[in-house]
Amino acid sequence: MNTTFKTDIIGYGLFAALILFVVPWAFAFDGFELNTFARYLTLGMVAMALALSWGYAGVLNLGQAATFGLGSYVMAMHLKLRASASSYNGMPDFMGWTNVEVLPWFWEPFHSLTFTLVAGLALPALVAWLMAVFMFRGRVTGVFVAIITLAFLVALQLVFISEQRYTGGQNGLTGLAPLELFGWRADAYSTSFYYMVAGCLITALALGLAVVRSKVGLILRAIREDANRVRFFGYDVARYETLAFCVSAALAGWAGMLYVLVLEFASPTYMSVPFSLGIVIWCAVGGRESLVAAALGAVVVNMLEGRLSSIFVEGWFLFLGILFIVVVLVMPRGLYGLFSDAVQRLQTVSPRDRGGKVATKATPLSATPAVKEEN
Amino acid sequence: MGHLELHNLQVQFGGLRAVDGLNLSLEQGELRCLLGPNGAGKSTTLDLICGKTAASGGSVIFGGIDVTHMAEYQRARHGIGRKFQVPSVFKDLSVIENLEVARSQHPGVLASLRVFRSRLSGRMDEVLTIVGLHDHLHVKAGNLSHGQTQWLEIAMLLMQDCKLILMDEPTAGMTVQETLKTADIFNSLRGSHTMLVVEHDMSFVRVIAEQVTVMDQGKLLAQGTVAEIERDPKVRQAYLGDEETADAAS
Ligand SMILES: Nc1ncnc2c1ncn2[C@@H]1O[C@H](COP(=O)(O)OP(=O)(O)O)[C@@H](O)[C@H]1O
Ligand SMILES: [Mg+2]
Repeated sequence: MNTTFKTDIIGYGLFAALILFVVPWAFAFDGFELNTFARYLTLGMVAMALALSWGYAGVLNLGQAATFGLGSYVMAMHLKLRASASSYNGMPDFMGWTNVEVLPWFWEPFHSLTFTLVAGLALPALVAWLMAVFMFRGRVTGVFVAIITLAFLVALQLVFISEQRYTGGQNGLTGLAPLELFGWRADAYSTSFYYMVAGCLITALALGLAVVRSKVGLILRAIREDANRVRFFGYDVARYETLAFCVSAALAGWAGMLYVLVLEFASPTYMSVPFSLGIVIWCAVGGRESLVAAALGAVVVNMLEGRLSSIFVEGWFLFLGILFIVVVLVMPRGLYGLFSDAVQRLQTVSPRDRGGKVATKATPLSATPAVKEEN
Repeated sequence: MGHLELHNLQVQFGGLRAVDGLNLSLEQGELRCLLGPNGAGKSTTLDLICGKTAASGGSVIFGGIDVTHMAEYQRARHGIGRKFQVPSVFKDLSVIENLEVARSQHPGVLASLRVFRSRLSGRMDEVLTIVGLHDHLHVKAGNLSHGQTQWLEIAMLLMQDCKLILMDEPTAGMTVQETLKTADIFNSLRGSHTMLVVEHDMSFVRVIAEQVTVMDQGKLLAQGTVAEIERDPKVRQAYLGDEETADAAS
């Protein structure tokens, strides 16, 4: 439908204007406030990544935090090496404490910034690809995908915590150097840093939209409804699912890299189950049918957390849980669902557009997956 | 050698031999009707050809290629298309989107990444005219009437433009006019497409079929023209002998 195409573009434009102009102005270009908001934006990016696989392909990845965490460690390893240039053997401090004598081989390539930036996207995508081959070639679907991805997340976090000599264990990677990119020094509390993060999110959203706006998005929605039927048209369903899963992982890895820059440390909590389930909740609140809405959902819920957790302290997770139940029961399509229903109603009221013969030679592939109660 | 050949095709479900040593040969461009009492194994035969069910013995040769062990999407790429007994359009997608999915001449992921618009001209336009859904382009398939849903499904088959079309009871639930229009469409496809149609409605079969194959209990029972089949005592006994059950069956 033409209207959903317009809604998408308008929504995207408004969102870009919001985070590029309104937010910096509303916070009076204050670096500390903008740092907090930059954190929300990176979380918006990972929620958007989940919407790509969950909302479009129907692949509920409960372990989205795994690829996010991988991206964050990739970036943190680079920054840690830069911070450790003058220490013994150029090794990170925590390795000395655990009697590691030489820098492990797999740390070496992270001296290179180019390698790091590529690996931050490619490593999560590669890991996702291996899982995807296993799951989608074997035609694993629905709740089993959720269980496998969740189990993978738990295992990955365990490895990062237990291999303290190489990963910093429970403490994660701290005491990082700032990133230097083309002579620009990333200061997490500067306005230029905020614009860098906002620019990344806008770019990532554009990439995601290009995927779901193309015929791939259409085939993914068809797969979500009836994968077998799609196969009888000659589409290799596993490949489409794999693409969605891997692009989603790469975007999550990108978000993870930014997250480390914002918070200036990496922690195994980035790969925790509560964090991963949080991503699902943000995505559901915003509406998983729309990438922009999912990103917005993450921003809104995390802003709420920022305000409310100081009041409730311990009660936040309880609140989040209740929020999720309410969303699932009352508005299964999230805020986006409420919005698009309202638009639909307005349109049925106006008789224009109705019954008009289509004179154009082409029509955009709409990209809004329709309602589905399950999952 | 025929366009489609089944050699000693078999499949078992538990102890039941649903298809039991079936041999069949279809010429290029032929329209063949497949008849038989309920449970004879007609749907299962189509399943075996399109890859929905794996054969436990025998082979399916299509266009000279052995497709017996290919995945269903690979068979579809070779030109085998299937219409199911239950209408199976994508209810959440609009008419035009359903047709775009069916336009699957380039089914690769990379090819799909480059398509952003549905071309309404050419084949799409022709197909829409044939089935008369021009005014419903953006209607969700779930909101179409039963008849329109059937047309959409036939439109999807036309869009897919497969060399071999397998159809399971395409006229079930259709009005007389709709059935006649369907017969017209089938007749126009004859020659350019090879078709294997499972059908219960004998009046419809008389209109479309030259050759008829009758199955019973997974085996080939008889083969010939409609007139020959209707005279065949074996067939009369197994199936046509009781016109009422034959007509009521679905
Ligand atoms: N997936 C299946 N599992 C078990 N039995 C099946 C399956 N599919 C079909 N059958 C059985 O195989 C026989 C043939 O079924 P079918 O091909 O649907 O007959 P029809 O000629 O009416 O289309 C029936 O007895 C049916 O119960
Ligand atoms: Mg049947």
